[in-house]
Amino acid sequence: MEVSVIRSCSQATNLKTELGFKDSRFSFGKFNEKLFFRKPNSVSFQSPLRRGKSGLRITAQAAQSDPLPKSKSSTKSKTLNRVRLFAGLPLDVVSGGTVNQFRAISAGLKALKLLGLEGVELPIWWGVVEHESMGKYDWSGYLTIAEMVRKAGLKLHVTLCFHASSQPKIPLPEWVLDIGKTKSNIFFKDRAGKPYRGCLSLAVDELAVLNGKTPMQVYQDFCESFKSAFSAFIGSTIMGITMGLGPDGELRYPSHRGFAKSDTVPGAGEFQCYDKNMLHLLKQHAEACGKPKWGLGGPHDAPANSELPTANTFFKDHGGSWESPYGDFFLSWYSSQLIAHGDRLLSLASSVFSDSAVNIFGKVPLMHSWHGTRSHPSELTAGFYNTATRKGYEEVAEMFARNSCKIILPGMDQSDKYQLKESLSSPESLLAEIGTACNKHGVGISGQNSTVGAPDGLKQIKKNMLSENLNDSFIFQRIGAQFFAPEHFPLFIEFVRKLNQPELHSGNLPTKEGTTTATDSVHTRSNLSIHMQSA
Amino acid sequence: MAAVTIDSLLQNPTLLFRPKAKVMLKPPRSLDCSRNRKLPLSRGSCFCSFNPRRTIHVVRASSSETALIGNFDTSSSDDIFYKDIFPVKRIEKVEGKFFIRLDRSKDQHDWQLTVGCSLPGKWILHWGVSYLGDSGSEWDQPPKGMRPPGSIPIKDYAIETPLKKLSEGDIFHEVKIDFNPSSEIAAIHFVLKDEETGAWYQHRGMDFKVPLVDYLEDDGNTVGAKRGFGVLSGALQQFSNVLLKSEASHADSQNNSIESKDSKNKNRCLEGFYEEQSIVKEVSVGNLVSVAVRKSPETGKVIVCLETDIPGDVVVHWGVCRDDAKIWEIPAAPYPPETTVFKNKALRTLLQPKATGNRSGALFTLDEEHFGFLFVLKLDDNTWLKFKENDFYVPLLGTSSVPGQYGQSDITTEEISSKSYTDGIINEIRNLVSGLSSEKSQKTKTKEVQESILQEIEQLAAEAYSIFRSSITTVPEEVVSETETTKPAVKISSGTGTGFEILCQGFNWESHKSGRWYMELKEKASEISSLGFTVIWLPPPTESVSPEGYMPKDLYNLNSRYGTIAELKELVKSLHEVGMKVLGDVVLNHRCAHFKNQNGVWNIFGGRLNWDDRAVVADDPHFQGRGNKSSGDNFHAAPNIDHSQEFVRKDLKEWLGWLREEIGYDGWRLDFVRGFWGGYVKDYLEASEPYFAVGEYWDSLSYTYGEMDHNQDSHRQRIVDWINATNGTAGAFDVTTKGILHSALERCEYWRLSDKKGKPPGVVGWWPSRAVTFIENHDTGSTQGHWRFPGGKEMQGYAYILTHPGTPAVFYDHIFSHHRSEIANLISVRNRNGIHCRSLVKIVKAERDVYAAIIDEKVAMKIGPGYYEPPSGSQRWSLALEGRDYKVWETS
Repeated sequence: MEVSVIRSCSQATNLKTELGFKDSRFSFGKFNEKLFFRKPNSVSFQSPLRRGKSGLRITAQAAQSDPLPKSKSSTKSKTLNRVRLFAGLPLDVVSGGTVNQFRAISAGLKALKLLGLEGVELPIWWGVVEHESMGKYDWSGYLTIAEMVRKAGLKLHVTLCFHASSQPKIPLPEWVLDIGKTKSNIFFKDRAGKPYRGCLSLAVDELAVLNGKTPMQVYQDFCESFKSAFSAFIGSTIMGITMGLGPDGELRYPSHRGFAKSDTVPGAGEFQCYDKNMLHLLKQHAEACGKPKWGLGGPHDAPANSELPTANTFFKDHGGSWESPYGDFFLSWYSSQLIAHGDRLLSLASSVFSDSAVNIFGKVPLMHSWHGTRSHPSELTAGFYNTATRKGYEEVAEMFARNSCKIILPGMDQSDKYQLKESLSSPESLLAEIGTACNKHGVGISGQNSTVGAPDGLKQIKKNMLSENLNDSFIFQRIGAQFFAPEHFPLFIEFVRKLNQPELHSGNLPTKEGTTTATDSVHTRSNLSIHMQSA
Repeated sequence: MAAVTIDSLLQNPTLLFRPKAKVMLKPPRSLDCSRNRKLPLSRGSCFCSFNPRRTIHVVRASSSETALIGNFDTSSSDDIFYKDIFPVKRIEKVEGKFFIRLDRSKDQHDWQLTVGCSLPGKWILHWGVSYLGDSGSEWDQPPKGMRPPGSIPIKDYAIETPLKKLSEGDIFHEVKIDFNPSSEIAAIHFVLKDEETGAWYQHRGMDFKVPLVDYLEDDGNTVGAKRGFGVLSGALQQFSNVLLKSEASHADSQNNSIESKDSKNKNRCLEGFYEEQSIVKEVSVGNLVSVAVRKSPETGKVIVCLETDIPGDVVVHWGVCRDDAKIWEIPAAPYPPETTVFKNKALRTLLQPKATGNRSGALFTLDEEHFGFLFVLKLDDNTWLKFKENDFYVPLLGTSSVPGQYGQSDITTEEISSKSYTDGIINEIRNLVSGLSSEKSQKTKTKEVQESILQEIEQLAAEAYSIFRSSITTVPEEVVSETETTKPAVKISSGTGTGFEILCQGFNWESHKSGRWYMELKEKASEISSLGFTVIWLPPPTESVSPEGYMPKDLYNLNSRYGTIAELKELVKSLHEVGMKVLGDVVLNHRCAHFKNQNGVWNIFGGRLNWDDRAVVADDPHFQGRGNKSSGDNFHAAPNIDHSQEFVRKDLKEWLGWLREEIGYDGWRLDFVRGFWGGYVKDYLEASEPYFAVGEYWDSLSYTYGEMDHNQDSHRQRIVDWINATNGTAGAFDVTTKGILHSALERCEYWRLSDKKGKPPGVVGWWPSRAVTFIENHDTGSTQGHWRFPGGKEMQGYAYILTHPGTPAVFYDHIFSHHRSEIANLISVRNRNGIHCRSLVKIVKAERDVYAAIIDEKVAMKIGPGYYEPPSGSQRWSLALEGRDYKVWETS
């Protein structure tokens, strides 16, 4: 990770500030704690500046002795195990076209820049931008943020949120909810028929349910509009875009409704195949398989949302229905629907942004509770057919690879030892499993911490950042009062500073063989920092 | 770096309008340069920022942009394969006028001082007066009648009044100050401040002074000498003298009338005058640099056309490069006219003015094989304009590509340029490192800079935190409940002591008078302790310019008007013997100097801490400090210490450690902590590990306007923010609670004592464990009395703070008065029921004439004339205390 600290000048209007503003860069640790100055007014190389008695000539042009790595010519280069660090902006940073807490955001951006972060993540909500009516977009608040970020000298990772947020409350667009009032089958439903209004059901992806358009078309229009509104930033400031894939932006079914508190054992979750359109698809599929009776509904012996997996027989460790031919039939179909949905959205994003120099990401959840059982109930209900006997994330990683997308994995702050024993949870081994699948398919991994937080979270994140589980970037969630609070922020500073310590002690290049991904600017910059070390 | 240039027209009294050399004023806001001072900025150069605009934009360029590159389009636009417009920002000096006028107001009795400024800006007159008989350079606040509407007092020494345009069409922003010449005012002092830029406009680093009184018998030289206040004031004085001599002939003219009046044996002699000076402000101006590249079909050569609307002489330094590395090379001739080779590395070409508009430009004809065209611009004021701190770069290998591909090639360019920039730094570093005498010194410097950047990060984070938090009003309470209630109450931290502390302020404003306060107090030690106090706050111990001790000079000299260092030690020992902890009153914000600098300004220190002017903040107009700008508000009466200097902090930490060890102080009462960032306080407290510490974060502004708002959240928020900045290592005096008690008791508005969430409305409602509640201190009460608690209602105040959470502080004057036994009783109720700084308070009544609360379900209290009795439910309440308009019950 590049941890150079750059003092930026963001107040262009106040020249006095700029006059006095220095642009010193220094690194936390990486460059053996040496100090690097750069004067804001230091001129280009043909105008050497004498500094004091030392009579040193400061040149600010490229180092002749170190030819630059050819980033253009080679598409493959060794990935250093360095990860760019981002911090997420508040979920409600923009509402009603205006930037909330503008001053706090701008101070925060400066602090992050000084701290050496690569950039920030900006959630852009469908319900904010296309709030009023279909096709009417208001990007103004987000454009302001993008400009602030650019001025601060940071990069931007944009998350396109086609889902709703409960806290803070950011619902889906009003016109979508209006449609949902009469057509509740555009939403996922559980067995009791209760709709989930946090996102649209994947079963309607290709159905013209939104004023004559399919959700896919609406998503596409949204992306196109985003692309043209942010054309000045895409590829320069905006380097990554996360495509929202479902509840909380994640590729999954809303199987765990109303997440339980961290001190209670979570339930198994519930299959979400009960809206009219899902049932229709299931029926078709069952008939095609020659098992029409299997298509009449979901598993009858699965527990309800908040019930423990043991409450019924479907997830039983031995002899549970999940291992039966019916179980395999259902779970295959259920998970393939989810993967197909992810494929649709990611290929949409890939094609819209194909001519832009941005990476496309999609988020996959870390359904780690009950991972210690054979059936992995939480993963199954969320749509991942991953059990003790079946490597379910291979298909997922393969789908990401097919679309040249990178994966975002949350929960990097969760460690096994702080999980409730009763929940048989293992975030670490699940993470490793997904990581292996991704590495196999060459899918880059970007990490996130869970929003709920975890004890010793920063320590765990650091561990993950230095491991194979993470090779692209890390997005720390999220900026806000808590983030900057005196209880937390000093720890975060410490965390950032320590990230690079391992390299302090090793004289050699911290290169690890094996992983290869497409080159981007990060890698070449990493190389540069190595030049410095060896210099 | 010149902030202001002033033509001092009045330097010579005999030649009124002879132009003089320009006087360069030191800008007080030199901001962060000082951190960088080891590599001083060269004068005249400046940093410019750029908004790179993507090539794509040209497609939908605005009309002005189109106009700028219009001429490219007319010439075979088909051949143009690259176009880009770079908006650039540069600094332009705008000149304007600034005037001072003294004349009679319309009614001919009063006089009027008018200050005006013709430059745009948000101008503030920061001013004060000095009175007859005053010595020294301190300002006083002018009498109320003199303050124009909209004035805001700045503590007790100055006023800030905005300059306004009288009508839309006016050129000048003006402020008028009316005054009565027969008053005791000797002079009006002021500096001008531009709120937009934060710059101070002053006179040679000092204030402007308009003398209002003349000493006829001392006429002449002594006047100037007496007012050692710089050229202007002296000059003005002499100016009026000149007119005085010819006064007979002008006696009737409006501006030259004289009024004489006896005033303590001195004759007042006022002269009107009008004084105009030029003033220069730097504003940032946006310009455009446009570049187009086309291929000449005839010659096959590449033609780069560069044009800009920057006025004045613009020299382009340019070259070409072979590849991505962007190493500058000099191309083969021909070159445009006015081109010279610069140090064999680049070419310099003066842009030629265009026939149309105020633009200039040049055409560069290059061979086809070049990879890119690099350039930077130099303006006629030696300013360099660069592209994102890098060279402007124009790709030339684009002849075969279609314009649509630029988006991509451009991105690559940018990545590479950021790399080459990094490389540039590498070089700089190498040079720096190799040039340094020793590795060791490098390390120390690095550490220093790291520290200062870390501090900046922390400061920014604190700012972000306070805003984020204040927008989520529930959070403060959460902070309280999470971090406070869960903690065991016995844990001692410097912000709270044990949590059961009761503080006694052991002196008043007169205590220095006897010269043996320490000895007097020593005799009362056991008495104070027996009343139930656990902590006593002693007066500031250091040598001080003012007898009360708040203008410290030599910090290590502890012989003061309160007694000698030996007596102090003896007192502390006695206090410890009776079981009390002792707080030293430490003044860290400012320090009085021992010596003058070469300009005659007092900013050089002596004694064991013989700091120079680097220890003084740079943005106080009075004291020409060379430190960084202040991290807080300035206290104008003495040089404000620059806590961002490591040597200052090191010395102060050592000093605090010495006080702890040598004297035996257990903790601190920190004076005027508004003057510097709370993060430094945290640093000091962590180093000196006090048992208890409390800061005086005095925010008087909220109380200056007649009616007080019910909601004082912003006021307490500022105090809470400060506590936060100290990381909770210090408590703070709960000024908010005092203010609200004033209004509630004075006006019989007891409803004010509950905020909209039903909690106490002061700091104590948000962060009780860090709130040090009080109703009076040496400043507000005693003989100063600038904000005295409503008379006769003190006991209601004590009934409130001594039953409520927070750490209550009782003022010396109240302890040794007729309130004594009542206070003692309240303290014993508090102690008996174990009320502590985190106790829970339930407000049960907050009405017009009565406030009642139940604390920890053990103590009930009411203040106000209205009726309240605790509920006769499961708990049995018995009346413990009763006094005028207050009652306290406890459970039996």
